[in-house]
Amino acid sequence: MNKFDAVYYDGKTSARTPVQVQRLGNCLFVFGPNVTIKVPIGAVRADARIGSVRRTLSLPGGAQLKTDDHAALAELFPHANRLETMVQKLEQRWHYVLVALVTIAVFSWWSMDFGVPLAAKIVIAWVPINIEAALGNQTLATVDKSICGPSQLSAERRQQLQSNFAVLTAGLQDGYRYRLEFRDCKGVGSNAFALPGGAIVITDALIKLAENDQQITAVLAHEVGHVRNRHGLRLVLQGAGAAALITALAGDAVSITALAVALPTILLQTGYSREFETQADTYAFKRLKEIGLSPKYFAEMLTRLEAEHAAKKQAADEAKSGKSSDSSTTFDYLSTHPNTTERIQRALANQ
Amino acid sequence: MDALNSNSNVYPDAGSAGGERRYPVEFTATAGEYFRIWIVNLALTIITLGVYSAWAKVRKKRYFYGHTRIDGEGFEYRANPVAILKGRLIAVAAVILFYGSGKISWQLQLASFGVGLFISPWLIVRSMAFNAYNSAYRNIRLHFRSTYFQCLKLIIGYGLLVIITLGLGYPYMKRRMVQFAAENHYYGVTQFAVADLKKIFLRIYSNAIGIGILLGIVAVVLTALGATTLGMEMRRPTGTFFIVQKLFGYVCYLGIFAYLRARVANATWNSITIGPVRFECALRALEVYWLYLVNISAIILTVGLATPWAVIRTLRYRAEKMTVIATDALDHFVAGESTQVAAAGEEVSEMFDIGIGL
Repeated sequence: MNKFDAVYYDGKTSARTPVQVQRLGNCLFVFGPNVTIKVPIGAVRADARIGSVRRTLSLPGGAQLKTDDHAALAELFPHANRLETMVQKLEQRWHYVLVALVTIAVFSWWSMDFGVPLAAKIVIAWVPINIEAALGNQTLATVDKSICGPSQLSAERRQQLQSNFAVLTAGLQDGYRYRLEFRDCKGVGSNAFALPGGAIVITDALIKLAENDQQITAVLAHEVGHVRNRHGLRLVLQGAGAAALITALAGDAVSITALAVALPTILLQTGYSREFETQADTYAFKRLKEIGLSPKYFAEMLTRLEAEHAAKKQAADEAKSGKSSDSSTTFDYLSTHPNTTERIQRALANQ
Repeated sequence: MDALNSNSNVYPDAGSAGGERRYPVEFTATAGEYFRIWIVNLALTIITLGVYSAWAKVRKKRYFYGHTRIDGEGFEYRANPVAILKGRLIAVAAVILFYGSGKISWQLQLASFGVGLFISPWLIVRSMAFNAYNSAYRNIRLHFRSTYFQCLKLIIGYGLLVIITLGLGYPYMKRRMVQFAAENHYYGVTQFAVADLKKIFLRIYSNAIGIGILLGIVAVVLTALGATTLGMEMRRPTGTFFIVQKLFGYVCYLGIFAYLRARVANATWNSITIGPVRFECALRALEVYWLYLVNISAIILTVGLATPWAVIRTLRYRAEKMTVIATDALDHFVAGESTQVAAAGEEVSEMFDIGIGL
């Protein structure tokens, strides 16, 4: 079978000529109305096959032959486009497709769980601390604009806490310039969070919730742990990595932009991971002992936060079922810091 | 086998009425076949850490182009994957610089935005030239011929108009950009001609704004209702109310998006002529909207696996609603001189989602 039907386009006009093509020896002969061509087969370039798409043969001088006779071309040009011929074989068989599917599933799961965090961990080594600090300041500015106002605490109280904080961060010499920021944030309840570069924000509500200053210092030690381990920066990079990955995987979808905008925010809302919390806790226990405080204060603080969280949740549930009209938000420290009971136990074990 | 006979089956006669021939645009791709191409593309892209993505793009586009047929012949996508790979590397670097600078300081972001403003005309012109040059029908390439300065003038001029009118001038800008994109295209040596789009674009966009205001009122009423019945609960950023509110906003946004897509495509294609050829594009906004809603739901429910199916049915719908009308056979277009175009512009503008859709 070395004779097949094709259509000839000369590349000069859009005119179409139906032709027959035949191989004789090392030459390809093209016959049709007003067309007779003889061309060495080595000078003809066949395109790579893609599914059922009509094949194209490029002739020297810019002319083209188009044909649906895939079998004839496979016989005539068995070695054209080695790589893509291989790809085409993969595309044709459903069991290879199944392998591809499994590859993608395993990869997606692996990269979300390990790959992206690992990449973020590697990349942060190249991010200088002053860039991290700039990122933190940017975040603080956003926080101030959206959810937080100036602190309502008295100047003496703040002074007291600042000097405790100075003791906590004295002589760390890890390159970070630690500073404590007091804010009154309605939306986030009793909360404290570390920003990349060394700024640590603590809310008035958390300070009021604490029974003593040691408990506050214990929470701040935990936040220092986040800063030292660069968790904020890692989270940002993980978000960017996840967004890039999703865009790459779903990049074919009809409205990529909308998808790319919506998904990373969902991913980011889960807050710090268990791994980050454990790391920050471990650091906090060590540091508290160094400055002569027991990690039990951390356990006490967590217990108080948990009690407050439970009370709020109950109030919210009652409000939902219509028993009470007054309820405040249940969003607080524990919403962003998971598995409390386990952490309390670890703190007590580390005394 | 007789060549003439078999070819007359492959290339059916076009229906003719009153000296005009009508060629319906056919889309012959199938979801099953494209699913296999798509999944192999994805797997190979992953295994090669993204390098294969350039080849994947070319295979995908060649598949779609080849199965989009007019008068029995498909289109051809001829881009070289190596050129696309180079373009992608440049694009990735640009994305990191642009978004990275935004994370560090707003001054840097502003600066890179300014630089971007002056680069974007180049990107637009280059990406359209690259796409046109690598698209062919009946062995005749398309071309896009315009200059950086022509595009820059439009962007700065109309950009200022949009800013001064607080966004109300956008339809003028969009209309001018679409016109710019269309009228600088050539099929071989035959230049595209575009009728004036001003009136029809103004009508489309004022309708869209009208729909937007209507939906906005509905949203405000619903939020107020929710606020009185649910109380403080709605403030919680993870609460049901918050999610429903977001979802509603998204569905509304998609509706306006579908309306604009359908109407702008119709208006544009119906005003283009290429020599003896004109087009009839009859997309229905509600049908497009439904198509998008089903697509997005299917993609989410199947964790992305329905993506190929969604893409194919969208392309098929668009092809089905398009007819080519010619006063002459399609045999007399003439090719012309051509110069090769690099892919960097195309890839960067794709990453930043800039460019002018037709």
